[in-house]
Amino acid sequence: MPFERFTKDARATVLAARHEARAAGAATIEAEHLLLALAARPEFASLGLDREALADALAREEEQSLEAVGVSAAELGAPPAGRTPRDPQLSTSAKLALHRAVAAASKRGERHLHAGHVLLGVLAAQHGRVPRALGIAGIDAGELRARI
Amino acid sequence: MVDNGMSLAPPTLPEDPADALAAVGALRRLADQLEDAAVERALRDGWAWTDVAEALGVTRQAVHKKHARRLRNAGVRLRRGER
Repeated sequence: MPFERFTKDARATVLAARHEARAAGAATIEAEHLLLALAARPEFASLGLDREALADALAREEEQSLEAVGVSAAELGAPPAGRTPRDPQLSTSAKLALHRAVAAASKRGERHLHAGHVLLGVLAAQHGRVPRALGIAGIDAGELRARI
Repeated sequence: MVDNGMSLAPPTLPEDPADALAAVGALRRLADQLEDAAVERALRDGWAWTDVAEALGVTRQAVHKKHARRLRNAGVRLRRGER
């Protein structure tokens, strides 16, 4: 991962994603935490990204996925997120998003990685929690990518 | 049998592979959360790491590596000789 090519705002995004993961009590920093960190940035508000709406959509995605196999997390008494401290590291999904961000920057002939490239990387995912949550939130990832 | 919200019939996977895989991912994350809570409860109850490991079917080293620092930071008193 060529972190030396990350601008200040790209690094800030990764740090904010780590904060999101810790707040959620997650063991690893996932692409969804990058998405939440990006949605909190004022520069992306005009794109229609709302951190709270996305957090709700992610929670809904998890509920739906569990319901599909007859499991209700609330009934099982799963501990509330954030109760135990963790030092989350970048996971596979986050690294994939960042690799795609690097590719997006290269494709545009740009050497330095901005938060916008990280968003492109996150939105490039075809499968997993991020595209499913975006669907629930009524966001067209393809249309969004074209506007970045 | 106590009703804990889970169906007594074996769980069937959704037809759509995307939904089925999403369910698997969600169950794994849920299992991780439950493991965190269950291990904490065991340690607070005075269980030895060795016994927690055996209950989970993993090595003592694995469970200690995964949970010890987190639980110590959370202020869980670990048994003498078990740190």
